[in-house]
Amino acid sequence: MAYEPQYYPGATSVAENRRKHMSGKVEKLREISDDDLTMILGHRAPGSDYPSTHPPLAEMGEPECSVREMVEPTPGAKAGDRVRYVQFVDSMYNGPSVPYVRSYAAAINFRGVDPGTLSGRQVVEARERDMEEIAKFQMETEMTCPALASLRGATVHGHSLRLPEDGVMFDMLDRCRKEGDVIIMHKDQVGRPIDKKVNLGKPMSPEEAAKRTTIYRVDNVAFRDDAEVIEWVHRVFDQRTTYGFKPEN
Amino acid sequence: MADDRKRMFAKHMEIKYTKEHGTNKMEGGKITDMTVEYYRLGVDQNPRKLEMKKAGQELAKKRGLVGYNPMMHCGGIPLGQRALTPSFLSGTDDMVEIDDLHYVNNAAMQQMWDDIRRTVIVGLDMAHETLEKRLGIEVTPETINHYLETLNHALPGGAVVQEHMVETHPALVDDCYVKIFTGDDELADEIDKQFLIDINKEFPAEQAAQLKAAIGKNTFQAAHIPTIVSRTTDGGQTSRWMAMQVGMAFISAYSMCAGEAAVADLSYAAKHAGVIQMGEMLPARRARAPNEPGGIPFGHMADIIQTSRKTPEDPANVTLEVVGGACMLYDQIWLGSYMSGGVGFTQYATAAYCNNILDDNLYYNVDYINDKYDGAATTGTDNKVKADLAVVKDIATESTIYGLENYEKYPTTLEDHFGGSQRATSLSAAAGSAVSLATGNGNAGLSGWYLCMYLHKEAHGRLGFFGYDLQDQCGATNVLSYQSDEGLALELRGPNYPNYAMNVGHQGGYTAIASAAHAGRGDAYAVNPLVKICFADDLLPFDFSKPRKEFARGALREFEPAGERSLIIPAK
Repeated sequence: MAYEPQYYPGATSVAENRRKHMSGKVEKLREISDDDLTMILGHRAPGSDYPSTHPPLAEMGEPECSVREMVEPTPGAKAGDRVRYVQFVDSMYNGPSVPYVRSYAAAINFRGVDPGTLSGRQVVEARERDMEEIAKFQMETEMTCPALASLRGATVHGHSLRLPEDGVMFDMLDRCRKEGDVIIMHKDQVGRPIDKKVNLGKPMSPEEAAKRTTIYRVDNVAFRDDAEVIEWVHRVFDQRTTYGFKPEN
Repeated sequence: MADDRKRMFAKHMEIKYTKEHGTNKMEGGKITDMTVEYYRLGVDQNPRKLEMKKAGQELAKKRGLVGYNPMMHCGGIPLGQRALTPSFLSGTDDMVEIDDLHYVNNAAMQQMWDDIRRTVIVGLDMAHETLEKRLGIEVTPETINHYLETLNHALPGGAVVQEHMVETHPALVDDCYVKIFTGDDELADEIDKQFLIDINKEFPAEQAAQLKAAIGKNTFQAAHIPTIVSRTTDGGQTSRWMAMQVGMAFISAYSMCAGEAAVADLSYAAKHAGVIQMGEMLPARRARAPNEPGGIPFGHMADIIQTSRKTPEDPANVTLEVVGGACMLYDQIWLGSYMSGGVGFTQYATAAYCNNILDDNLYYNVDYINDKYDGAATTGTDNKVKADLAVVKDIATESTIYGLENYEKYPTTLEDHFGGSQRATSLSAAAGSAVSLATGNGNAGLSGWYLCMYLHKEAHGRLGFFGYDLQDQCGATNVLSYQSDEGLALELRGPNYPNYAMNVGHQGGYTAIASAAHAGRGDAYAVNPLVKICFADDLLPFDFSKPRKEFARGALREFEPAGERSLIIPAK
């Protein structure tokens, strides 16, 4: 029988959603065109070539190395792309993903990534075209709600603030706003105005966000109600306390 | 346990978030609402920002060079896109502008640190023995009083022995003095009261007995050099300044021959015997002199704060006052300035001593412990729970989940602690201190701190900045380690401890945990009885028994600091 990774303990919908995000088997909810994605990431002009930091690997004349032969380079590494970033901020109010789950999802499902996790934001650095693949994946699927998650390369403040009245997460730079029944982005991720409004799709309803979220909240799925998760946290704690990082001893 | 208690932070949240301040128009709504209307009024909604804006404009005009301009923020988008709200100091009803909790703007905070840095404790017994045995001089209470009178002239910079010496102006150094304390009640009775820190008077009887037993019949000098001197130099100057004046005072008071060989023995004994610095030196890569904050162990800091002798029946209050003082020193001044430089660290610290959020969590924990463990959080030694991992897990888990749920139930609380590091400090300080109170064991409390971090990260899928995420996930492995390079009981750890060097948001909490273990037991001190007694002194400009109130006075501009130079500066 083939091994099925379990990824995460727990019996609640939050635990189930965490497992789903980590597995990469998430539902696609919207379409973002390549040009729109390039525009809101703000690293290069849409349609332009990828800037490179070195020639394609095939032209580099690399030394013989069994590891190099064993590991297939990612497309970005193969082409010599520079390393760029995509950074998300996820609201504490049932934002669909939480920073650690975004990091786990990137690390498990993509190669050549460097995920960083903080309280209010989560950044993935990778070769530019590889990064765009990850960014597109996250933006088009249930990992993101355009109202409760936001692309923010700078000025990340807002994940824990109360939601403004229209339900779009607070952003002092006003990169996103609700127009009609969709969320548009009229600045790139660091807040520079862009030439057109990019349609990020419809926000999740409060009920849908509560169903899809990966955060425990007492007004939805309370952390204390997921006994198996707490038990596993206790187990990690016990083993680190008693044995350091060597639980086999 | 029924969760029907009135949250301690509710009143402060209601005033802070649903009332108008200045012109911010932040009125209405409930502290449990998840949504709000942000008026995006910018700096003009806040009186302190307006004052600073005006000062910046005047500065630019006066010197012909631009300075502070709030419109520089994010290329023209001003602070205040959400409401600029003031904060309450926990345990008080004093509401202050948060800018006034930066130590640059707060004279009380500066004085707290000044009063620590300019303090050194010096033993008196070996000097007396040298006088008696080596020089055959008789030491009596009268000669001691005379010596102390001489030293209180010399220590601030008055000349003795030598003629035509420059002296300091007494009004510039009026905060400089020396007192003594002793565990010998008979000697204490003979000492002029102006020179004595009277242990029997300053401490509850049970604590006084502990302290006197700890120091025996020995006598120590509690010396405070001038604020203005330690500010101009560094913490290392404190013992040097004291040593110079002690030597001269002995020579003068006992009419010694300055040139005779025996004076060298006295001088060495008088300056170096039984010297206690508040902080040790740091390793070369972070090098500072002694008596700088990076070298102050958590146990010393716990002893410097004096709340334990004022409210011994309320160990949680002792712990919370220690949090306030220690977060300010370690986070705002040490990590925020010595190690980093800047403004952001203030808000890591204020999260732990503003708006009663941490207080609420800790007092909930006290109720929980007392209900479940038969009064273990009340002061005493016979009521404590055994410090094992099951107890740590139970108390720290309940504390953490309670605190997390407050952030979930009260969105203004979440907005107040708007960064994960603020939440992590507050939650872990509550969990760790609670375990300490229940067990009387600081390392068990530290263990609770780390479990809290794990639970917090797992529940919300996020923690603090990278420093938290790194160090707090490996901290549990060194809680109970006593290897030479990573050991120490919590009381003896400090900012100097390997993994704590860059731990903003942690060291104030660790100090509280160390303090809670002893406050819970009713101990008179955490690690050093000399330090505890030295700061039991109302003559110090900063009141170490209620640091949070003092910070509020500083923010409200009611605090009178020492070491001001206005006397020698042209009047404006």
